[in-house]
Amino acid sequence: MESASVRLEVAGGRGPLTGFGNLVDKEYGTWFRTRRALIHNVLWLAVINGLLLLIGLDEMGRNPYFILDELIEVFFRACGFFAAIGIVVSTQSSVLGERKLGTAEWVLSKPVTREAFILSKFVVNGASFVGLAVLIPSVVFFLQTLLLAYLQPSLAAFLLGSAIHVELLVFYLALTLALSTWMNSRGAVSGVAIGFMFAGFILPGFLPWLLAGTPWALSEFAATAARGRPLPAEAWQPILVTLLWTVLLVLVALWRFNREEF
Amino acid sequence: MPNDPVIRTHKLSKTYKGVQALKSLDLEVPGNSIFGFLGPNGAGKTTTIKLLLGLIHPTGGSAEVFGHDIVGDTIDVRRRIGYLAQEPRYYEHMTARETLRFTARCFYGGPKLALEKRVEETLELVGLADKADRPIRGFSSGERQRLGIGQAQVNDPDLLILDEPASSLDPMGRRDVLEIMERLRERATVFYSTHILDDVQRVSDTVAILNNGELVAKAPIEELLAGSDGIVYTIDVKGNGSDAEQRVAGQPWVSDVQITREHDCAHWLVRVTDDTAAESQLLRLMLADEHVVVTAFGRRTYDLEDVFMNLVEENGDGER
Repeated sequence: MESASVRLEVAGGRGPLTGFGNLVDKEYGTWFRTRRALIHNVLWLAVINGLLLLIGLDEMGRNPYFILDELIEVFFRACGFFAAIGIVVSTQSSVLGERKLGTAEWVLSKPVTREAFILSKFVVNGASFVGLAVLIPSVVFFLQTLLLAYLQPSLAAFLLGSAIHVELLVFYLALTLALSTWMNSRGAVSGVAIGFMFAGFILPGFLPWLLAGTPWALSEFAATAARGRPLPAEAWQPILVTLLWTVLLVLVALWRFNREEF
Repeated sequence: MPNDPVIRTHKLSKTYKGVQALKSLDLEVPGNSIFGFLGPNGAGKTTTIKLLLGLIHPTGGSAEVFGHDIVGDTIDVRRRIGYLAQEPRYYEHMTARETLRFTARCFYGGPKLALEKRVEETLELVGLADKADRPIRGFSSGERQRLGIGQAQVNDPDLLILDEPASSLDPMGRRDVLEIMERLRERATVFYSTHILDDVQRVSDTVAILNNGELVAKAPIEELLAGSDGIVYTIDVKGNGSDAEQRVAGQPWVSDVQITREHDCAHWLVRVTDDTAAESQLLRLMLADEHVVVTAFGRRTYDLEDVFMNLVEENGDGER
């Protein structure tokens, strides 16, 4: 097929990320060339900022600093919990659905690597979700605190808290992707991931040392940091360990997906 | 070299949970051929195709496509292949244009203008130009198959692998697929699996038959249709043919004459050792006898269906 006077250039690259750019564009398309991003945007504004609005209105007339503290606490703990569930539910079928429907087989029959397939999902789902469930609600949150408490949180402190919050979400994204390369049921993937989340409410009561090796305390640290208060001395450990867990889970997902047969 | 093998497998094997789906396959697919890969359901056709594409991993043996190892150089293999799966699945939210653009970008880095032109040409070629911007979720099975053929050749592949390409198509769709295959023969090799034997007989140069994971036959289509019992001529005769029989049987290039009679007709099977001599003399010998009337004369060939059924039944019925 002689295509055009301008010749097509064969895609270069031979490494493990062959096809990554094209797959990233395709993944962005699943968010932003469909109604998915709009739905998420409306959902998270309603859940996060709606809840904050109700609480703020209820607390009107109290000390503004108290209101601001309370709103930050709710933003990072309650809404952080909803967002963590959200990232599990919204990405549980990202890999599993493609494995089961056969689109993964189709894509992988082209010159793209399995590493590029998984990493594009990790990068795009992470960035899109964080944008829609953290970044936009955060901007609205700043306006809300101004209207409800006539104050705004310290930007630097809020960014530190957000970074910890994002780390927690990215951990759950990596966990969901890793599970969805192993398991064959969406229920099992989300069940294990959300079950792990709920275990964080119960198990540390009996086994407090678990908090050092899991992300369960990160929401509390995020809220503390965003309020401008110093983090406990031992906070670095779960923050670092969660980062390592995330990397490990991504590696597990890559390893498992490389063994998948279509 | 155009007719060098593009696919070479050496004792290629695949076992799924203790079940051998492919047993030590040795296969060579010549370049610029239309290679029909036949076999009953479960024979190992799709397994072979998936092994070549790196979608599954071999448990034994090796294979090369264009000299690239299917395990170590799978990306280089896939760069030169267009593939249509048995039940192709695409992203339902994408349009046909977006699907072809995504596929083309797996192979080409740009420029954008040339890429879009290639997409447009492919849409025209498969007859989807008027539906190019509709989401695939509304496509009929025929339109999906057309899109499948489009995405399989958007990269102008050197090797087109089609897994049961016409199985879900109506006669018009089947005809279109066969036409595309014939058109591609000039510049590409087409390797396709099917169970529609008419199609194979119509377009294939070479045929391989797989059964229970084993290769039971591989030959150019003419050779396969000629059968394995030597060169045999069939002659239908009316009248008293005893003199003619003696004369034919006495030729040094005739090894056997079998005659079956039905009413006033006789059906002769003449097995010969020299096809050139038979071609030039056999009919003449028959016509020289004024007591017989030759009503039919020809070299015996088989339907692919006969060959296929015989081979499959000889090697088990294909069921596991």
